[in-house]
This record gives sequence, C-alpha cells and structure tokens, in this order.
Amino acid sequence: MIEKTVTVTNKLGLHARPSAKVVQTATSFKSEVFLIKGEMTINAKSMLGVIALAAEFGSKLLLRVEGEDEKDAARTLIRLFKNKFRDENGE
Amino acid sequence: MPDIIVETVLDERKDFLMLTLLNSKEGLKKKLETSEIHRPGLALGGFLERFPSKRTQVLGQTEMEYLNSLSKEKLVESLETVFNADIPWMIISKNITPPNEMLALADRKKTAIFASKLTTTELISRLMSYLDTRFAPTVTIHGTLVDVYGVGLLYTGKSGVGKSECALDLVERGHRLVADDVIKITRKSANYIVGMASELLGQHMEVRGIGIIDIGALFGIRAVRLQKRIEVEVRLQYWEDSAHYERLGIEDKYTTVLGVEIPLVTIPVSPGKNITVISEVIAMNHMLKVYGEHSAQDFSRRLTERLARSNTIQDYLEADLE
Repeated sequence: MIEKTVTVTNKLGLHARPSAKVVQTATSFKSEVFLIKGEMTINAKSMLGVIALAAEFGSKLLLRVEGEDEKDAARTLIRLFKNKFRDENGE
Repeated sequence: MPDIIVETVLDERKDFLMLTLLNSKEGLKKKLETSEIHRPGLALGGFLERFPSKRTQVLGQTEMEYLNSLSKEKLVESLETVFNADIPWMIISKNITPPNEMLALADRKKTAIFASKLTTTELISRLMSYLDTRFAPTVTIHGTLVDVYGVGLLYTGKSGVGKSECALDLVERGHRLVADDVIKITRKSANYIVGMASELLGQHMEVRGIGIIDIGALFGIRAVRLQKRIEVEVRLQYWEDSAHYERLGIEDKYTTVLGVEIPLVTIPVSPGKNITVISEVIAMNHMLKVYGEHSAQDFSRRLTERLARSNTIQDYLEADLE
C-alpha cells in the first residue's frame, strides 16, 4: 500500500473535467485507489466520489493506492496532480 | 469531526432553541465536548462530587427560584462553585432573567449565558435531538443505498461491479434511491445507522456510457429518499469459481459499520444474473426474519423432524409381522 499527500494545484479546483481525468487515470490501473479528505474516504474510480470531495485550489488530499500495479498508479496520479490535471500531451 | 463551539449551536439552531444571549460574546468560542445535558441543582446547593461540568448546563424555574431565595453572599458563593468548574455554557429556560451577580460572574469566567423562551422539558428535548445528531459519529463510504420495500440495502463492492446499474433497475421497479457512490453514514444510536447522500451530490448517479444523471428529475419524487436506516449490507463480488458462496443461509452473517452490527449478504455477480430480483428477495427475506420467520432455519427444522419421523415409521413397519 502506498500513501502520499497530493495538492490540488489548478486555480478552479477539482471540478468536473479534472475529476474525470483523475477517474480515467485511476481506472486504467488494477489497483484500488482512494482519495481521503478529512473524514471522507472516496474511491478514485468513482466519478461522483471525486466530485463530492469538492477539493478547492490548494486543498491537500491523501492518495492511497493498493494493488499489484500500485507503484505505477501512484506515480502517474501524483504526476497528474502536479501537472494541474493535464496529461503529457498538454490536454 | 470539526469542533463544535457555542457559536456553532447559535448559528445553526438559534431560532429552534429560541435563544437570546444575555452577557458578553466572549463565551461564544467555548468548545462543547459532549452532547449531554445537566441540571446543576445539586451543584448550586453545594454538592460538587461527580458534578459533570463539561455538559451543557440547563437551569429551570426551580433552580432560579432557589437562587433568588439566597442572600447575596450565599448566592455568589453558590454560583462560584458552578462557574469555577469551567462549564461550557448555560441556558435558562422560560426567559427568566438571572440576577446581575450571575451575569457578572459569567463574564469574568468568559462563559456564555442564554435565555430560552421554551419550557425546561421542551428545551432539553430539543437540545438533545440536536446535540445527539451533531455529536453522532459519521463516516463516508463508497457504495449505493436504496430503499427496497422499506428496507435500507447498502450495496458495496469494487468500482464497476454494477452497484449503480442495480440501483437504477430497482428505481425503475418502484424502489427509492437514497445515495449513489458516496454515502454519509451516521450512527444515530447504539444500534442503528442512517445513510444519506453528500450534500453536493444529492440523488445524482453516474452510469457508464451515459454520464451523470439526476434520478429525482428523471423519475420524479417517488424515486428518491433523503435518508434511510441501513438494515442490510449487500456485498457484490465478481464471480470466482474457487470462492465459496452461501447455499443454505441457516446461519446469518454480520458485518460492523460504525460499531453497529448489520446482516451481510454476499452476492456473486456474473453476466446475465438478475441482481434486482435477488435484491427484492433479500429485502423481503430480511423483513420475514424481523417478523420472526427464518425460512432457512424453519426448513432445516422441518427436514430434521421429517427424518426423525420416517425412522419411527420404518421401525414400526419392520417390527410388524402381521
């Protein structure tokens, strides 16, 4: 299990589109991915779950990844948060 | 859980509790540590052993008349014993005006005193209903909550196993959705838990391939419910040939949510399997058990009786030489 704190770095916060990006990325891995904000633990493969976090600019979330490809998954997701939810192609 | 201070109660329930602040605002920042309420009659009378000073202190007409009967000296002495114990806040019912000595002392101790228009019994009843909910332990989990024939079924399982689709099917058949994906669970009392949707999501649902839909708007008011007691957890699992699934159901399985034990049913999911009908059966079977009828156990008992009876007949026939 990998746990790492990530920060929401884009100005508008984790709104619908970035949330979709997070979910898409999380779903592409076999591992279970969770995001934790305060007393809320949500499944990062669930669209509404990620939206329900209502994570605004600057908020810190705990990323928890557990499964066979956890290293890859954690690395990719951390990069996604750092890149303000744009993937490598800048999209 | 974020801290609850006196000001929080004021912000959220000032009108409901009919409160008026009688002294300085300095006491509003004091923290409430428990939902419990105390009437400090004995403490005012000087008996301070076991005085639960961390609780909300409520004074009624009896306490106020007792205080008014005291001489100035005794009054201050009596009040000091209570206020020195660092109480979080105090409410006086029936809008009774407290003596000035009390307000001055409370100001010095930076403790807020309120008057409420309500009678003591009504005030305590409203305070309890509010504070109990406010202090109740909560947790947010991933799952789907549906009211099926009045039984709260909590679906859990991995993302993509078909929880939302099952809920959609149930709504189509006339059942009611409480929350999808994110469920806020509150322990209302020692033995029951209640689930509701996150404030932001309401009864929205995500269906793969369609996107986000609003169940209330699509199916109308009959298809949604704001909160529901959670009675059974239905755990959906991908079918595995090697896994062992329940075949008899004679022994009930349980799971624990927020310290409350609820029945657990694990259902293997495979293509073409109708989870909706199974869900309705789970709900009805749960109700039967609540009403005292346990089909699996009853059947097992009948089978044992029948086997015992066949033995007697067999013995009789064998011994019959006619």
